[in-house]
Amino acid sequence: MFGSTQLNRRNHSVQKLVSILFGVVTCLLVVPVLTIMTVLVYKGGPNISFEFLFSAPTNGMTAGGIFPALLGTIWLVVVALIFSVPLGVATAVYLSEYASDTWLTRLINLAIINLAGVPSIVHALFGLGAFVIFAGFGTSILAASLTLGIMTLPVVIVATRESLQAVPPEFRMACWGMGATRWQTIRKVVLPNAMSGILTGVILEVSRTAGETAPIMFTGAAFFLPFLPQGILDQTMAMSLHLFVVSTQVPGVPETLPYSVALVLVSMVLIMNAASIVLRAYVRGQKKW
Amino acid sequence: MRNRSLLVVVFLLGCVGNTDRQFIQNKGSDTLVNVAQSWSENYVGVDGSVVVAVSGGGSGTGISAMINGTVDIANSSRAMRSEEKEAAQANGIDPVEHTVGFDALAIYLHLNNPLKAVSFAQLGSIYGDGGNFDNWSQLGIEVPGCSSGEIVRVSRQNNSGTYAYFQEAVLGGGKDFRLGSMDMNGSSEVVDLVASTPCGIGYSGLAYATEEVFMPCVRVDEGSDCVLPSVETAIDGSYPIARPLFMYTAGQPEGQVGAYLGWILGEMGQCILFGKGYAPVTPVVCS
Repeated sequence: MFGSTQLNRRNHSVQKLVSILFGVVTCLLVVPVLTIMTVLVYKGGPNISFEFLFSAPTNGMTAGGIFPALLGTIWLVVVALIFSVPLGVATAVYLSEYASDTWLTRLINLAIINLAGVPSIVHALFGLGAFVIFAGFGTSILAASLTLGIMTLPVVIVATRESLQAVPPEFRMACWGMGATRWQTIRKVVLPNAMSGILTGVILEVSRTAGETAPIMFTGAAFFLPFLPQGILDQTMAMSLHLFVVSTQVPGVPETLPYSVALVLVSMVLIMNAASIVLRAYVRGQKKW
Repeated sequence: MRNRSLLVVVFLLGCVGNTDRQFIQNKGSDTLVNVAQSWSENYVGVDGSVVVAVSGGGSGTGISAMINGTVDIANSSRAMRSEEKEAAQANGIDPVEHTVGFDALAIYLHLNNPLKAVSFAQLGSIYGDGGNFDNWSQLGIEVPGCSSGEIVRVSRQNNSGTYAYFQEAVLGGGKDFRLGSMDMNGSSEVVDLVASTPCGIGYSGLAYATEEVFMPCVRVDEGSDCVLPSVETAIDGSYPIARPLFMYTAGQPEGQVGAYLGWILGEMGQCILFGKGYAPVTPVVCS
């Protein structure tokens, strides 16, 4: 009575074909990632040692380590976070918790979306004009980190806003019902419950900040510096620019050196991502809903 | 929480205050960037209180930075143009030119390429606007491994001093490059590309030569001697495409910048330049 008809069978085989096809495409996506990692580890791995990580480049950057660049990238990321996280979270809280849906908030939302779409080289030019020349910071970690911070601001805002909106409205109403003010509700109920999403945004920002080259090229990163940066008004070397330099600008670099630099850069980002996933899982485990 | 943010502020302020070292900003020419890097690296042993921050980007980048007043020393592999000097003066900056060395511009070919000599006229037909050399057979040769026979022209981005100098010295004043060349962003990239392209031809500073490329001798016209690029032929002036390398300072250099430039023009600085494959300004004896 319910035996399969010809149409049924055809639908079934199409369904099977589609699932296999899409499965293969998904597997293919993993291939570039695995290839990149394999090549990096194979060519760059043997060169990496304690000394490589913690000594300065020598002999016209063809030998020695990468410590100034490694430290420089950490400086850039940390200072960028100090500026963009409070700013981004505050913006998201305002947009999600306080602002009503007016033409002004819609305009702000539009601006944020557009800011996310601006190419990084345009941010670089903006940073050069606004921070290096106009504000008078000179080429410095401060100018470069502010540029990076502005570039990654939309990531933090969007991630934070989404996680704030994911907190059920009943939580807020219950809190208001107890006589709490809006700010008390945000601070004690909404933000703690949205923490995992905010952390995701921050980590995405870190990965992007560490890898960008264009915005720091004009604003704070140097081809070569004989000293480590001492403060935020110093210039610095950075991993991403160092990779560009040793792969294209310096003659006589051993073939494995650029691969080693790339491997360290990728590992930094991967380690930070992994840490964030662990942290997020922990924070999410604390949730009571 | 409040304590922690206070700590961060104190930490940042502490960092801002800590600047007992003098910074010299040095930016520009990709041709000079590696020797500038070496100077900076070695100057640490001479005066540890001075930090020379080196950046590349091309001669145009360095000159723009000089006009905007964001560098102490701009490196350039071409002379500043009069309109650039005027733009700097309009900003209250008086750029002073210092010749720090000479560079022979070598023509690079793939190792398979049998071409042993090349003339300005031939280079003009290959690179210049209106030139008609598209195939290696037009130079009477056949390149093994280059099956199409087509000449792959490798050139530089247009804010490069090397680009500007090649245009002026080889193509002749005012003549443009032909479209359709592959424009690289660095001297080293040109050499790397030619090394892996049997059909290729490129130009870059002699200092970027490697074992994987061939450099033909160059003659101005059919009647003149064909001279191989080398530091010696650049010094004695017999190589036809050798150019001075410049450093520009804002006004006459004083203090630490002056001391640094003096050291560059002294024996140690010039020997470092020589070691990188450039010709020194004055004859020096290097170990």
